[in-house]
Amino acid sequence: MSNTRAALSAASLLLVTALAACSSVGSSSPSADRSEDVGSAAGDVKDGGTLTMALSAEPDFLDPTLAGSFYSRYVFNAMCEKLYDLNSDVRIVPQLAASMPTASDQGKTVTIKLRTGVKFADGTTMDASAVKTSLERDLNDPQSARVTELGPITSIDAPDASTVVIHLKTPFAPLTAALADRAGMVMSPTQLKKLGNKFGNDPVCVGPFKFSDRVPQNSITLVKDPNYYDADKVHLDKIVYRIITDSAIRAANLKSGDVQVADTVGTDDVSSIKSDSNLSMLESSSLGYQGITFNIGNTNGVGKPPVQVDAPYAKDPRIRQAFEYAVDREALVKTVFDGQFDTACGPVSPETEYTSPAVQKCRSYDPDKSKQLLQQAGVPVPYKLNMLVTNTPQTLQLAQALQAMVKDGGFELKLQPLEFTTLLEQQDEGKFQVLQLGWSGRVDPDANITNFIGTQGSLNVAGYSNPKVDNLLAQARETQDVAARAKLYGEVQTQTQKDNPLIYLYRQRNLTGISKDVSGVQVYADGIIRVAFAGYTK
Amino acid sequence: MRRYLLRRAGQSVVTLVLSTMVVFAGVRALPGDPARALAGEQNDPAQIAAIRAKYGLDDPIWVQYWHYLQNSLHGDFGTSVRTGIPVSDMLKSALPVTAELSVLAMGLAAVVGILAGIVAATRRGTVAEWLANGFALLGLSVPNFWLGLMAILWLAVSLELLPASGYVPFREDPGQNLQHMILPAVVLGTQLAAVIMRQTRSSMLDALETDYIRTARAKGLQERTVIWVHGLRNSLIVVITIVGLQLGALISGAVVTERIFALPGFGKLTVDAVFQRDYPVIQAVVLVTATAYIVINLLVDLLYSLIDPRIRVAGEAA
Amino acid sequence: MNAVTDTVPVEGIGEHGDRPRRGRLFRRLRRSPLAMAGLIVLCVAVLAALLAPVLAPYSPDHADFDAVFQPPGSPGHILGTDSLGRDILSRILYGARASLLVGLLSVVLALAVGVPLGLIAGFFSALDSVVSRFTDLVLAFPFLILAVGLAAIRGASLSNAALAIGIAQIPGIIRVTRSETLRLKSLDYVAAAVAEGATDLWVVVRHILPNATSVLIVQATVAIPAAILGEAVLSFLGLGIQPPSPSLGTMLSEAQQSISRAPWTAVIPGLAIMVLTLAFNLFGDGLRDALDPRGSRR
Repeated sequence: MSNTRAALSAASLLLVTALAACSSVGSSSPSADRSEDVGSAAGDVKDGGTLTMALSAEPDFLDPTLAGSFYSRYVFNAMCEKLYDLNSDVRIVPQLAASMPTASDQGKTVTIKLRTGVKFADGTTMDASAVKTSLERDLNDPQSARVTELGPITSIDAPDASTVVIHLKTPFAPLTAALADRAGMVMSPTQLKKLGNKFGNDPVCVGPFKFSDRVPQNSITLVKDPNYYDADKVHLDKIVYRIITDSAIRAANLKSGDVQVADTVGTDDVSSIKSDSNLSMLESSSLGYQGITFNIGNTNGVGKPPVQVDAPYAKDPRIRQAFEYAVDREALVKTVFDGQFDTACGPVSPETEYTSPAVQKCRSYDPDKSKQLLQQAGVPVPYKLNMLVTNTPQTLQLAQALQAMVKDGGFELKLQPLEFTTLLEQQDEGKFQVLQLGWSGRVDPDANITNFIGTQGSLNVAGYSNPKVDNLLAQARETQDVAARAKLYGEVQTQTQKDNPLIYLYRQRNLTGISKDVSGVQVYADGIIRVAFAGYTK
Repeated sequence: MRRYLLRRAGQSVVTLVLSTMVVFAGVRALPGDPARALAGEQNDPAQIAAIRAKYGLDDPIWVQYWHYLQNSLHGDFGTSVRTGIPVSDMLKSALPVTAELSVLAMGLAAVVGILAGIVAATRRGTVAEWLANGFALLGLSVPNFWLGLMAILWLAVSLELLPASGYVPFREDPGQNLQHMILPAVVLGTQLAAVIMRQTRSSMLDALETDYIRTARAKGLQERTVIWVHGLRNSLIVVITIVGLQLGALISGAVVTERIFALPGFGKLTVDAVFQRDYPVIQAVVLVTATAYIVINLLVDLLYSLIDPRIRVAGEAA
Repeated sequence: MNAVTDTVPVEGIGEHGDRPRRGRLFRRLRRSPLAMAGLIVLCVAVLAALLAPVLAPYSPDHADFDAVFQPPGSPGHILGTDSLGRDILSRILYGARASLLVGLLSVVLALAVGVPLGLIAGFFSALDSVVSRFTDLVLAFPFLILAVGLAAIRGASLSNAALAIGIAQIPGIIRVTRSETLRLKSLDYVAAAVAEGATDLWVVVRHILPNATSVLIVQATVAIPAAILGEAVLSFLGLGIQPPSPSLGTMLSEAQQSISRAPWTAVIPGLAIMVLTLAFNLFGDGLRDALDPRGSRR
């Protein structure tokens, strides 16, 4: 009967497919080794060529005032220079400014000297009044995402073409770091006047490259800007940012040579990239963290005065401490991320100048201690908790690993995966017990802490409130002395450890895949891939 | 005939308007709001309020719908809440991708499906028949996104035969464009090819046995003519019907295919927009999909009635 | 995904007379080795799924952090382990169970809503255009928007996946039922019953419905594998069954990021889905052939 043969041929086709798929891949080696490499300046490279980068998500607005997405920073890096920038040692250095800012009047006045002879991509001159225009737009535009970053600015003056003076209501140390990010990007006033809030559709700034074209969902293209003050140091003609959201496909594109740089390489792809002779990995520690947040006082919504949640875990810190004892951070990172990420105890990265032993201190894995604390707290063991997570593959892996892990410590963790937008709403409204939440991280520790654990902070979804902590954070914000600030953040950590509203679990590392055909690609702790001065090797 | 078409057209417009209303209301009933989603990590209440004001999200729903209707009739679909890019630009760049993908997939499926169906119907009991049947069965049973993953794994990465993903517009470089589209089109079209093949085979078998074919043979017409002219015509009817009906499914299939092969198409636009609650984009997407579906079905009905007069008559009586 | 809204009338049946009675049907079925093969695989799969708690060597969410990404054939894990050290065989058994459940639920929903509507549309020509417009409306709607919407409102889950897929299949069932009803309505004995004064309800339930059953059964055997594939797509996109509940679709989406490191985590669930759907399709084919009044010539 013909159909029998049909089935047989179907079966043999199945077999062939299976065999092919199995044999097609190289070795599946166990956990890969780690290295630190932020990349180096371009060696001997030729001029010309197009570099294509695979981005893991689409940037939102290409407008420094409105941009919220982390990924817009990649594109800005090549086309919109800022007053200050980060260097490979995670220190802030001047870029469009001529030197570090000087503070006077007890820190309430900040003076910035600008570089001279700088032109925007449209040929107009970059001067102090352009900086004033940009900053005022960041402060006053109703849709601006920069307002909280810039702090208590009262007014801005431009006494001469290369001096900007910023007046603050109270001293604000994180200002410099804010000016090393999107708030410090200077936009062309001519283009702003022309396009208004459609600036993002055709942005003009100062940069080695300028905006050329954007195909929604697909790509963003930049071309070399002849008006750039250091144009002779730029080798490439064009940079194309291609949006490829799936990590396996990004890696596949890198391996096939369709792109030369792959952003956010999946931890499972690292070993196969390293074993490929045409490719290499850039790896560095990031500034952010991923952790667990407990809802302690968020009953009326984030930013509102906290009201104590009526549940044992919210009222008794011993239960939250127990949870921390029940988590083996090392095993978590090793299993779920193949050892490619770092464990984290607190919100301050050990790479920055604000680190201290106190801020890197946390409880280590001790499931017996966890059970002990639960018994002391007088709650039934296993203690049931409900955790909200986004339903992205990596987060779900993490959540499932956590779930399995905390069983030994006497916890029964139930997972509730939610779609991202829905999760945001629930987290803001306090409709959760436990939340898996992270933060991409900023250079200045204030930006990593205050909004999250300061009373009525805009991101304080835990509803945590501790006046001692608020006090320490305010002091740390107002002094410029790095050593003093580091000490204060250490004290904050010690305080919050007692209440444990947030358990920091791990810190991602920036994993970038690059082709050996290009030289000069760099990725510092902030995770932004810098390709502006790269080139193809000769 | 004209009356029939006019009536159908009228009904279609009603369906169209109804579907926009349903989506308009439905999408606003979803939890989570675009302003908050846009604010993302920062969560600045002033920014969120400004976004809501800008897009009129605080207006009553019928006011919003009225503005939407007015603007759409002028061709203004608004701007994306997420990126600020005009929605019409987004449609302009996404539609050709999906259209090309669909056309290629349908074309491949039709060609392969019809040929395989004819082979299976005419060369019974041979190797060719069981291969054809085998392929059809497999094509129906395999999850196409899995097929896509396997295909990328094997062809693009191991054998380095084809580019792994991405898209080059046809105008820019036709050769590159086809290279990038061929794998996705094959993956998307597989299931459709299987369905077409089986239908073709079945209707060919039917046709080969009907009276008028036997008469044609008796009259002495060549075997080949009998097959190709009469059998094929029957299959065409069937294929056209299938294609018309499968359009919605094709778009859904395109979503996953586009995601796997990183094609910036309409399917991907749709899913992303819903996830981000990008209302203007969602509305435009539904409008386009519903319109496309309705237009294509009208065309199918028209073609159907042209090819087979019996159907036209029956249709008018319906 | 194509076949989810497959509204093509079942091949080979449609224009000619009556269906074979039940007894002859089974005899015909037994004569086709392929249909029997499909039936056997189906029975095995359903049994395995029902007995999953008994058959599975491990609990599907038992994570073993020391045995992560074991290839198939490793000691204790015939099909290997996944990214968290969970046994793949166990997860496949439970996952198949979930997939079959979704398939069944969605088809039951589609039949429960579609059959009455189709009967009404076919029998009462006055209501026909209303039902047809409703069908068009549902068809014009991109299925995925519906699925995402449901997932967002009620949270993604097995029942919501079944709901979304069921709704997507309703138009197909309506159309098939309607065309069968139209066909049967014109047959002599039905006309006779009407002439004798039988009420509409009586005619529909007593004469039309039983004869439409065979077509509907075949349609169901086409719809179930389509639903299984649909669930896989939804879970793949994160809109279906949520971890830690195992489902074949979520296994595939989890495998995606580690596909180059551990290809078996993607190949095996895909093969499992294929085997299930293949079995349904084979059986469905056999059933269709057996129902074909023109005899077993194919």
